[in-house]
Amino acid sequence: MGVENLEITEDLTIPQLFLHQCKRYGRRKVAMREKEFGIWLPYTWQDYLDNVKYLCLGMVSLGLKKGDKVAMIGDNRPEGVWAEMAAMCAGAIPVWLFQDCMMEEVKYIIDHSDSKFFVGETQEEVDKALAIMPDCPKLEHVIWDDPKGMRRYQQEFLHSIIKVQELGRELDKKEPDFFEKIINEGKGDDICLLFYTSGTTALPKGALLTHWNMLSMGRNLMAVDPCYDTDDFVSYLPFAWIGEQMMSISCGLQIGYTLNFPEEPETAQHNIREVGPHVMFAAPRLYEGLTRQVQVKYLDSTWIKRKAYEVATKIGYYVAELKFKKKPVPWHWKALKYFAHIIMQKKLKDHLGMSRLRHCYTGGAAMGPDHFRFFHALGVNLKQIYGQTEIAGISVVHRDGDIKFDTVGTPLPETEVKITEDGEILSKSPSVFIGYYKNDEATAKTLKDRWLFSGDTGFIDEDGHLVVFDRSKDVMILNDERPFAPQYLESRLKFSPYVQDAWVIGDKRPYVTAVMCIDYSVVGKWADENRINYTSYPELSQSPKIYDLIQAQIEQANNDLPEPARIRKFVNLFKAFDADDDELTRTSKLRRGFMGDRYKDIVEALYKDEDNVPLDMTITYEDGRTQRIKTDIRIQEAGSGK
Amino acid sequence: MSRVWLPCGDYHQRYTEDQGWWQTNVIKGKMIFLLLIVFVVFPLILDEYWIGVANMVGYTALGALGVQLLIGYAGLITLGHAAFIAVGAYTSTLLILKFPWPEFILNLGLAYPISILVAAIVAGLWSVLFGLPSARVKGFYLILTTMAAQFITVDFILTQYVSKIGGRGQAFSLPPGTIKIGPWAMETDLQVYFVMITLLTLTIIMMANLLRSRVGRAWIAIRDNDIAAETLGINIIWYKLLNFFVAGFIGGIAGAFWVCNCAALSPEHFPWFLSLWLVGVILIGGAGIDGAIFGSIFMVVIMELLQMASIPLGEHYPRILFDFAFIKEMAFGLAICAFLIYEPRGLSYRWWQIKNYFNLWPFSY
Repeated sequence: MGVENLEITEDLTIPQLFLHQCKRYGRRKVAMREKEFGIWLPYTWQDYLDNVKYLCLGMVSLGLKKGDKVAMIGDNRPEGVWAEMAAMCAGAIPVWLFQDCMMEEVKYIIDHSDSKFFVGETQEEVDKALAIMPDCPKLEHVIWDDPKGMRRYQQEFLHSIIKVQELGRELDKKEPDFFEKIINEGKGDDICLLFYTSGTTALPKGALLTHWNMLSMGRNLMAVDPCYDTDDFVSYLPFAWIGEQMMSISCGLQIGYTLNFPEEPETAQHNIREVGPHVMFAAPRLYEGLTRQVQVKYLDSTWIKRKAYEVATKIGYYVAELKFKKKPVPWHWKALKYFAHIIMQKKLKDHLGMSRLRHCYTGGAAMGPDHFRFFHALGVNLKQIYGQTEIAGISVVHRDGDIKFDTVGTPLPETEVKITEDGEILSKSPSVFIGYYKNDEATAKTLKDRWLFSGDTGFIDEDGHLVVFDRSKDVMILNDERPFAPQYLESRLKFSPYVQDAWVIGDKRPYVTAVMCIDYSVVGKWADENRINYTSYPELSQSPKIYDLIQAQIEQANNDLPEPARIRKFVNLFKAFDADDDELTRTSKLRRGFMGDRYKDIVEALYKDEDNVPLDMTITYEDGRTQRIKTDIRIQEAGSGK
Repeated sequence: MSRVWLPCGDYHQRYTEDQGWWQTNVIKGKMIFLLLIVFVVFPLILDEYWIGVANMVGYTALGALGVQLLIGYAGLITLGHAAFIAVGAYTSTLLILKFPWPEFILNLGLAYPISILVAAIVAGLWSVLFGLPSARVKGFYLILTTMAAQFITVDFILTQYVSKIGGRGQAFSLPPGTIKIGPWAMETDLQVYFVMITLLTLTIIMMANLLRSRVGRAWIAIRDNDIAAETLGINIIWYKLLNFFVAGFIGGIAGAFWVCNCAALSPEHFPWFLSLWLVGVILIGGAGIDGAIFGSIFMVVIMELLQMASIPLGEHYPRILFDFAFIKEMAFGLAICAFLIYEPRGLSYRWWQIKNYFNLWPFSY
């Protein structure tokens, strides 16, 4: 390869590494691809360098200084990475926002972070920026990328990326060494990213991460699971999520694998199948979605195909179970496993885009054992990851061949994890952040003596695995002191293809109940086949036959549960849980406390002798519009299923 | 989008890759396997009779490819394709019999190969002549103008004038040894088989290459909507005539091959029914080059089987043997009816579905 791989040291910055990799690979290797007009348009490392260079110099000529903040919002596209890298090269600090952030959140983050530049992808983002401009006096320039609909925008502070790059070219002609000079001015302990955490409580806090934080995290993760520069990675999760930064920037830049950007967010699933990534990191929701998709397609397929699927799945489950228990797999089971691979699993992995996958991770929320088993039975090396934004993403991960699905694995190299007397999980590593932006109080609470206080509770089991176990979320107690595990129940319920989300209630109550959200497409299809008329989600969810369908799913889950944990009553909610209504966090975690208040009527009714709950509430759409809903919700009882 | 089912991890960075011949190793393997079958295995295992049947399949396929090009790729419905096959056959024959070839060409056995090429070009030009009305008329009216080609060419020019050259009445016969390719004189069916399979392979390569190029895309655009195609800047008259030329060219090859298969030639070999028959072949075969091939195999082999079945029956019902030609036509009509009702998208669609059954395994969609 000529030039050696650069060693990751405390002095190195991400832009320096970027420059090194660009020079190392030049035109010989593809740095990123974007699917456009039906093909995967490649950008070499040289193209990457040129685009970043001129964009960076352009922003500098517009007045970007070291330490300024650049707010960014948009789908995953090469331009997004360029803008982020360009800001970093100039010594500025990128701040990513979720694309589906509400106006209030955007305004709060931009104002709180003192952003001077705003980089938006399309007209939609530019409009958001224009709307908040009067409230954010520190915002000076808005840069956009997609010209669609932008013709009539004449404001002086609006610039297209192409125009900014032209400014950059002019500056480069005047001072050809300027770009490398500003990159070399950077230091490893400079701040490289400002990350607003999607807190389950209160306002988002901005975590400050340094170059060394990001780079050491990537290095340590790849010490466990090596990646290669021939790998493909699909970048489709929001850049505002630390997990995506960690894979695209920390790991991607270090090892030099190719980033692939989907055509549109809606086509991501299809595009992943085309590329067949070698590494994947996603929230449990994605894996749950894949499982559901497989189950539904299985139900719809023909007899022979169903039988092949059933046989192969049984074999897969048996072998996966042996592996989980760390027992040797006898040779005849190995042969059967190979048979199962040939008749079904090979093709199925191909459909899911997992045929080249070496390892894939799930993190951000708990994932049920059923889903874990499902993927391992298929032969997909799915592992749990644990970490926070404050530790640059990851601190704990499963090792190959040592996977226990109730744990999150063992700490990364250079990472220490310990448990306080109260059960709080503390971690320490080079990747621990340096504090919250403009929030010393929170910093003092979270960061003590370089130990990160996560706020999560857990314990370390006999094999040295960390178990994240939250008394407030993971175990609840009925009023007769019998415990049950709501998250576990929820993930069991979600294993049914008809159930999109579930919220299990029962803390200090006489029995366990659940609020269910049906999966609109799957249940809708079921309704079509069973000749049930419906026009909308609310109507479908309240149909008596759908209640019976969901009841059957609950009873099946109830089957092998101990008596106290069985769900006695449930309601079908008239809508799915949504982050826009604050019911979920942006990373799709249930906000139990908030939900308890919001659906107080339902919760109360579930524990009374009532069949109906009248409901009157407001829901919020993504554009901020609200709608008041008045409806009746039925309560139905569920048995044990036996 | 690529035309083939790509496995996960196989993606394209350029449009040329989308149009590649062998996009995956599986496809490459399958195609090499197929070539081995037709070039090595068939000649080894098939007896004389079935080699003869294979030659008929090849002849039908060459004819049907031209019709497929016109109907399937440019939407130019033709019922006169037999005329261009006839022009090819007569050009080739007349060249072999009457042209004062230099001695060395005869010695090298190049007369017949050259005549194939000339026949193809002449038939192509003849086809362009009758394609001219397509500049003005389309659809149903175009069918009539192509039928005019049939009657003017075969029933008038060939029957009344050309076949009388040499004064031997209706038929030409080509004495043994006149059709020579290199050192080999065409004497056995197996030799003819090799000529057929080589010509068919080359024709398919030529046609497939045309179809995945600018020309092919222009034709498909004209087929789908000629007005939209014209708005896109496609010179539709030029491309329609080019389509007629290439279809006639392929027809000419078929005709020249026919000479080598039959060693005799008469206008009766190219009745209007042959034109209709070829349209039937692609109706049953379905879309694409594979449709033309499937249709030819199906039609020829089915007719052979019918004939084989009629021989034992003929002992009891002798009329069956006498009237076999009519039974054949009836079976043809029945087959078309059955296909239009039960398999309107032809055999190639069924083949596609079979492939999809396995591609989608273990699901149905």
